Amino acid sequence: MSTQLGFYFNSDNCVSCRTCVIACKDKNDNPLGVNFRRVISYEGGTWLPHPTVKGVMLPSNIFVYSVSVACMHCVKPICVEVCPTGAMTKHDNGIVAVNQDKCIGCRLCQQSCPYGAPQFNEVKGVMSKCDLCQDLIANGEKPACVASCPQRALDYGELSELRNKYGEGNSIEPLPDPSLTWPAVVINPHRQAQPPGQGTGRIVAEV
Amino acid sequence: MNLREFALVTFSILAQMAVGSFLILGVVHFFVKRTADINQADQMSDRALLAIVPTLGLALLASLFHLGNPLIAYDSVLRVGSAWLSREVTFSALFFVVGTIFAYMQWKKISTPAVRNGLAVLGALLGLALVFSMSRIYMLRTVPAWNTIVTPLTFFTTTFLLGTLAVGAAYVANYRYIRRKDLDCAEVQCTLLHKTLRWLVITAIALLGIEFVVAPMYIAYLAALGGAASNTAGLMIGQFGLVFALRLLLVFLGAGILGVFIFQNASESQEQKLGYLTYSAFALVLVGEVLGRFLFYATYVRVGI
Repeated sequence: MSTQLGFYFNSDNCVSCRTCVIACKDKNDNPLGVNFRRVISYEGGTWLPHPTVKGVMLPSNIFVYSVSVACMHCVKPICVEVCPTGAMTKHDNGIVAVNQDKCIGCRLCQQSCPYGAPQFNEVKGVMSKCDLCQDLIANGEKPACVASCPQRALDYGELSELRNKYGEGNSIEPLPDPSLTWPAVVINPHRQAQPPGQGTGRIVAEV
Repeated sequence: MNLREFALVTFSILAQMAVGSFLILGVVHFFVKRTADINQADQMSDRALLAIVPTLGLALLASLFHLGNPLIAYDSVLRVGSAWLSREVTFSALFFVVGTIFAYMQWKKISTPAVRNGLAVLGALLGLALVFSMSRIYMLRTVPAWNTIVTPLTFFTTTFLLGTLAVGAAYVANYRYIRRKDLDCAEVQCTLLHKTLRWLVITAIALLGIEFVVAPMYIAYLAALGGAASNTAGLMIGQFGLVFALRLLLVFLGAGILGVFIFQNASESQEQKLGYLTYSAFALVLVGEVLGRFLFYATYVRVGI
């Protein structure tokens, strides 16, 4: 059986500090606008009039939580399916990575990925994306984002082991329907998280 | 719209126009050969055929501007077994090669008409495969507005509509050339031109009808789907509503109104008037279809984040 590496994210522990975003950007030396890991804040709720005091509004079902997203190293990666050159490949360990020497910069992977993982590097004219810090994990180190998280909200490893350890959850709003690409991710939902496709809130901050 | 997106609009419109012209030219040639004779059919079509190759060449050149790393563009055929973009590039290249060889052989009358016919049919099939692959690229399961039958339907409608009017304009230009040079086939060509233009206009009006039926149904369907699809519908009638209306108006004016004038004037011997009408119809529809393709890319909404 081939292996499938993936990330774990605990939305309940995330405080939206975005240290993972910066650690990732630093490790990969990414230019402005390119962020392999992003933290998306999602909020919702409403205000209701106070039952007795006129002119006073009370909060109702107010919530906010964040989702830290990088490449999901999907089991059915649409980016790999559409790539015309084979620059985008899924490795034996499940990692989806782009070979920049083979990329022609047609950006079809960017147009098709529902997680916004492949991103165009304007300087090089080719695509770039999260490769789960293959170089670091080959040396027994953790991916930069996982190592940096002060809340211990991120982890990585073999998908089956992550599932044994953390459960089966793999999507919460505002992430897309997981049946599209089968993301190799385990997500512990925030206590106020909403199921994908049924959210009542909106994205208030991206990156 | 930046250069990269404009490159895609240019490539797809010119490539579809080339394929459409090739097919329409072939069909007309076939029928003219039956009713008149092969020399008259060649006299009518050969000059127009020569214009298709540079049109497709221009399209392929434009497609390079879409790429971030065009120096290794040839690598885009590597996944022809599984990726539709690879198939599109492969069929573009094959159509270009077969089209060029056929146009040259037809111009120089190399080999027998049967062999040339075989090549023409092969070219036509490659062209159809090209337009089909082009539409399949966009049928992504993560882009619900593109992932419908409407994508191939509109791509083929554009192909035939532009093909019909481009060929019509080419026939008029060709006839006026024959008149100017005072070639002895002018009288027969005049009759053929008038008869052909009428059929082309009828075809164009039918295709126009398809566009007008599909457009509102498509928007209603997208709006009913909800999510990312209804965002596309919202962009089409909201932010890009003016472009959407202008697009339909231009195609209606070109293929519809001018089409009727062309039909009425086809039997009169006023070549100049007929010329202006046909060129204007082609120009209006071309601009309308360019706007339509721009709209296709501009209203892209993907699911997810």
